[in-house]
Parts: sequence; structure tokens; C-alpha cells
Amino acid sequence: MMRVTQGMLTGNMLRNLMTSQQKMGTYLEQLTTGKKINRPSDDPVIAMKGMGYRTQVAEVEQYKRNIGEIHNWMDNSDAALDQTTQALQRIRELTIKASNSPNDKDELESIQKEVVQLEEHLMELGNTNVNGKHIFNGANTKERPIKGTEDGYEVSTDNSDVIIEVGNGTRIKVNVNPEDVFTNQLFDDIAELKAILSGEADRSELDGRIEALDHHINDTINARSDLGARMNRIELVEDRLDEQIVIAKKTMSENEDIDFEEAITNLITQESLHRAALSAGSRIIQPSLVDFLR
Amino acid sequence: MSTFHGLEMARQALFAQQSALYTTGHNISNANTDGYSRQRVNFETTSPFPAASRNRPHIPGQMGTGVQIDTVQRLRDRFLDMQYRAENSKAGYWDTKNKALGRLETVLNEPSKSGLSHTMDQFWESLQTLSVNPDNTGARSVVSGRGEAVADTLNYLSKTIQAQRAEQESQIDVTVKKANSLLHQINEINGKINAIEPHGYVANDLYDDRDRLIDELSEIVNIHVTHESSGEAPASADGVVTIKLADSKGTPFDPERVLVNGQAGEYNNISVHKTNEGVSSIEVDGETIEASQFIDTLGSLSALIETYGYEKENSEDFVGVLPDMLEQLDNLAAELAYRFNEVHKDGFALDGSAGIDFFVPNEEGATITAENIRVHQQIIDHPDLIAASETMDFDGDGKNAINLGHVFDRPFADWDKESSAFEENQSIDAFYESIIGNLGVDAQEAKRMYDNTEILRSQVSNQRLSVSAVSLDEEMSNMIQFQHAYNAAARSMTTIDEMLDKIINGMGIVGR
Repeated sequence: MMRVTQGMLTGNMLRNLMTSQQKMGTYLEQLTTGKKINRPSDDPVIAMKGMGYRTQVAEVEQYKRNIGEIHNWMDNSDAALDQTTQALQRIRELTIKASNSPNDKDELESIQKEVVQLEEHLMELGNTNVNGKHIFNGANTKERPIKGTEDGYEVSTDNSDVIIEVGNGTRIKVNVNPEDVFTNQLFDDIAELKAILSGEADRSELDGRIEALDHHINDTINARSDLGARMNRIELVEDRLDEQIVIAKKTMSENEDIDFEEAITNLITQESLHRAALSAGSRIIQPSLVDFLR
Repeated sequence: MSTFHGLEMARQALFAQQSALYTTGHNISNANTDGYSRQRVNFETTSPFPAASRNRPHIPGQMGTGVQIDTVQRLRDRFLDMQYRAENSKAGYWDTKNKALGRLETVLNEPSKSGLSHTMDQFWESLQTLSVNPDNTGARSVVSGRGEAVADTLNYLSKTIQAQRAEQESQIDVTVKKANSLLHQINEINGKINAIEPHGYVANDLYDDRDRLIDELSEIVNIHVTHESSGEAPASADGVVTIKLADSKGTPFDPERVLVNGQAGEYNNISVHKTNEGVSSIEVDGETIEASQFIDTLGSLSALIETYGYEKENSEDFVGVLPDMLEQLDNLAAELAYRFNEVHKDGFALDGSAGIDFFVPNEEGATITAENIRVHQQIIDHPDLIAASETMDFDGDGKNAINLGHVFDRPFADWDKESSAFEENQSIDAFYESIIGNLGVDAQEAKRMYDNTEILRSQVSNQRLSVSAVSLDEEMSNMIQFQHAYNAAARSMTTIDEMLDKIINGMGIVGR
């Protein structure tokens, strides 16, 4: 028969109480931090995965922020192109008007004045500046793409792409090539129109001008529809990112967050076990034969 | 048969029961003394009368002559001691290792919002923001600031781990000092026992002291203990002990490294040969043991040496838990700096100049390590020098900033540099994750092994206590038993007294 002594009972009880206390500590830590693990050794797999998931969440959130900037580029480009189309339409209307009322000098003069204003408006549209960036000059955002010279306007031909990343490896061009819309040809054509209207050139050229304007309007609309297509794509990407954020956070949470119901139940169970151990301990330790001898 | 024989017998009985009562008292007094083994008085009958001899009186049978004390024995199982010490060495090893790895985990602090991983994520975010606003000075300052944060975190990790290593070193010194002090004390007790046993005594309390010291020693190093007779000692005496360093199986090393020599009454200090790089060997009595061989032996000293660093077998290299971690972080820092700089130099700064090194060592020309990595001072002073563009002229080009961000997730195979630390398809992120993962697995194992060995140790300890510890219930019942025996012996003496009184005072007075 194994001898059991007071010392053994006390030692065992203390050890068991300590283990129980330790478990309570773990559950309490889980509840206060909301995490299943607090150091890699608690569960190396969860820890490693957790680091990866955090990076993923950070990435998706950043890409989401990038989308905001893309909207900034594209919406402004779209608005500018819309106004460009309207301005060109107006010039075309004026040109038709001029060809229909051939002899009224005053009228031609007023038409010419309006065309000058519209030309300036086009120049301004081409030089659209958003947040200190010229959006129609490729990546050369600091410079104005259209500069006034003595002979009229000169357009720089920077067609480099402005690229923003919206996913690992998914790079999207956010700008509209200036060469597609604001070309030297456009301003040359307007300059010629002005020459006709002011009587410096032959009026029979007016029909050719209308054709040229149609061409430019088409170019602008094409550029705009290309932009529109990209905007659609961005919306799709944005939708996907929204979903990805939810999924990434959910995965991260499922990986490392505690199930509160479970943790609380664990804690309460452990607590009652601890109470039981304590009360049992007080019974075990107290009596010895001494208590029963006279 | 003498007239007074009965008196003598009762006296002896009184004396024997009294001794047993005193011993019970000794047991009760020491019920809570660490390392105390309960003692028991073994009674034996005195030689019966008559003894075999030619002129013996002829009486019907041999008659008992009473009781005498044979020995005062301490109740202890030497086999359980051996088991306990073996478990104690293991528990000592895993306890120390568990603590060291636990601290390392706290230093690296993953997963959290202050670890290196999060800092690198933030750095990546700032690079993405820069790629969107390459001409924005604010975005540039954030990149240089977060780059500094990455470098600072690496510096901090490296320095803290080095500090932990220095602490580990002083702990080795303290532990060795403690072991040597234990050896000295054990040797002293050996000497006392050697002096007292030949006089026929069994030095129970000295044995307890010595066993307690040997227990303490076994937590530090794995030992092999043998008992040798001190000469003319009683059969129940423990004799002197000889202690030798043992390998992981508990057998002494060959040649033997004797720590305490019981026969010669000598002891040999343990000394550890170490440099800044790590421990090369352990010396006892002029015999050395390679550190690589010693760390397998278990015991807290071997765990300390394993954490601090030791010389690899048949090689000049030093390895160990902390040196390995430092090396991994150095590899990470060097690789990060190399990859980042390569991409950075491909790009162009805001003023159109080609990119310079982003990460540099704090001393020119030095190899980049986790300790010395930092952001180029010029970049900190002029964030415009961050090469965010792929093209020379354009401010709005942030393509190289995107490329810089991908330094963290591009696999190793994409780069021409040959690095032995990185695996074929490992990115910076994945490499760091694997560092943390390995640390987690090691720490988890140490924790589990510590729990296991702790349970085993307490089990053996319980078995030992079951044999040796004082049970108050038992002592109380013994006390009653001896008390009654004492009372009865006294009564027996009274009876004989009355008998003698009858003979002396009551006889021969008939008719008076």
C-alpha cells in the first residue's frame, strides 16, 4: 500500500491549484485580448497564418485607398472630356451657322469671337489641374501640356501612362492620352477656322473645317468611351476589393479570434472546477489524527 | 538467573520505548523540513538466557531477556533518488530552455501591432501611397519615416537579443558557481560522514543533507552517483558518494569526469570555456568535454549553453538559439536591403537623378546586419531622393514605388543574388514568417516538454515522499503505541518492585 502523507497531499493540491489557476489565466487573457493566441508558441500555425492574413488585410485596404485616387483621376478626366465634347460641338454648330449665313460680317465677327473663347476653354480643359497634377500630360504631371505661343497653341506629346496598382500585379492606367484629344492638329484646325471667319482665308474651306471638327469630336468620344470602359473595370475591381476586405478580415478573425461563448463557458467551467478544488483542499488539509486525540 | 533481571529488562524496555518516542518527536519536528526522511527505531531482542555453553544452567527453555535498539534507520529508496535526479535534470533543461524561448517570443512580439511584420506592412502601405502620389512631399516623408521604422525595429530586435545573450552568459557564470559551491558542500559532508561512520554511527541527518544537495546539483547537470563504504561502517550506513558527470543516458562519460571523489575526499570544480561567440568546452579535473557533446546531457547548464551559443562539432562555427536568431535577422536585414536597393537604384528621384542606396549600414563599407541597418541619411534629409519613378523626367510616374512595394512579396528566384539563407521561392515576408513559425514550434515544444518532465518529476517525487515523508497520522499512532509500551514497561517494573518488596520485607516474619 502506498503511504500518503500530509506533505504529498499539500504538494499535490498546490500543484493542481496552480495548474487550474494557470488555465483560468489563459482563458482570462483570451477574453481580454479577444485572441486565441498571444505568442507564437500558443499555436505556431495560427501565428504564422495570422501574420500572412494581417499582411493581406493591409494590402486589400491599401488597394481600396488606391481606388479612391483612381476615381479622382478618372472622374476628373471624364468631366473634362465631357466639356471638351460640348465645346467642340458648339464650335461645329458655329461653323455650320457661319457657312449658312455667308455675308453678314457682324455675325461672322461675333462667331469668330465665340470661337476664340471656346478655343481658350479647350486649352484650359487640356490643362486641367487636379490636386496640383495636370491630368492630360501623361506622367509629366507638373508641366502644363498646352502652352500658348505667338502662333497659337503648342501641345506637348507626353503619352506615358500613369499607373496605379489595384491588386497584386493588377496595374491600371488611370489617365487619358493627351494625343487622343488635345492634339496640335486640333488647335491648328481651330486656328484655320478662325482665319476663315476673320476673312483671312477662303470661305469655301468651311466645309472642310466641319469635317475636321467631326473627326476631333469622334476622337474625343472614343477617348471618353475608352475611359468609360476602364471606369467600368474599376467599379468591378472595387466591388471585388470590398468583398475581399470582408473575406480577408473574416479569415483573419476566424484564424485568431476567440469564440466568446466558448471562452466564457470555458472560464466559468474552470472557475467552478477551481472552487471545487479549493474547497476540497480545505477539507483534505485540515484534519489529522491530532484533531481526534485527547 | 539474577534476582534483579526483571528490573534490568524493564529498564531496557523503558529506554528503548523512550528512544522511539524521541525519534517520533524528531519526525514530527521535521515534518516540514526540506529533504528530511522519516526515521525509525528498529528494536531487536537481547540475547536470550541461557546462551549455549558447557556450564549453562539447565532450565526448561531459553528465556527472553528484553529489548534493545538495533539501529535508527532512515527510510529512503536509493533507486527512487536515481529516478528523481534523472527527471530533475530533464526538467531543469526544459525549464531553462522554455524560459529563454518565451523571452525571445516576447522580444519579437508577433503577431501584434508592434512587431516587425506590422512595421513592414506599414512600410509597404506608404510605398503604395507614394506610387499614387509620387510628387507629394508628404507621401515621400512617410516612406522615409516608415523605412526608418523598419530599420529601427531590426536594430531594436538585434540589440535586445544581444542583451538577452549577455544575460544568458552571466547566468552561465552564476549557475557554474552554484554547482561548484554544491560540490564543495557535498564534499564537506562526505568528510564528516567519513569521520563518523567508522565509530559505528549511521549519520541519517547528514545523509539527508547530502541527498538534498545532490538533488539540487542534478537540476544543473546530469550526474551519476555511486555510494562507497567509508570503512568500518555499520551495514545500514550510506557511506561516501562519488559523483561523475553523466551523458544523456545517465552513464558516466569516458574518460570519467569526476566531480566529487568520495574515497579520496576531493572535489573538482566545473569550468566553462567561453568567448563572446559562445562556449567551446566544459572542463572538469583537466578533462574537457566538447560543448556540442555537453548540450545533449540535459540539466539547466546545458540549456543555458545551448541558448547562449556553442561551437559546432568538427567546425569553427558557433550555433545556438540566440546566435541563430541573430543570424536569421541579419540575413533578413541584408536581403531586404539588397533587394530594396537594387530596385531603388533602377528608379529615378523627383529631380531626375538616379536612385541611391535606400538602406545602408551605419558605417560605410560594412556588411548590412540587423544591428546596423538604417535609412540613408540623405534620404531622411531629402525625401525627394526616393526613386519613385521609372522614368527620369516625370513627376507623376510612381511605377518604381510599386516595384519597391513588391520587394516584400517577390520570391527569391526573381533575384540574381545567391543567398543560402533563403529558399528558392521565399519572399522577405515568407522568410520572416518562417522565422516566427520555427520559433513558435521550438517554444511550443519546450513548453510541452517542460510540462511533461515537470509531471514526471512530481510523480517520482511523490513516490519518494511516499517512502520518506513524515505522515503525522502515522507518527501520532506510533506515539500512542510507544507511549503504551513505555507505560507497560513501567508497570512491569512496578510489579517486579512489588515482587522484590514481598521477598525482602514480607518474607521470614511468620508468627511475628
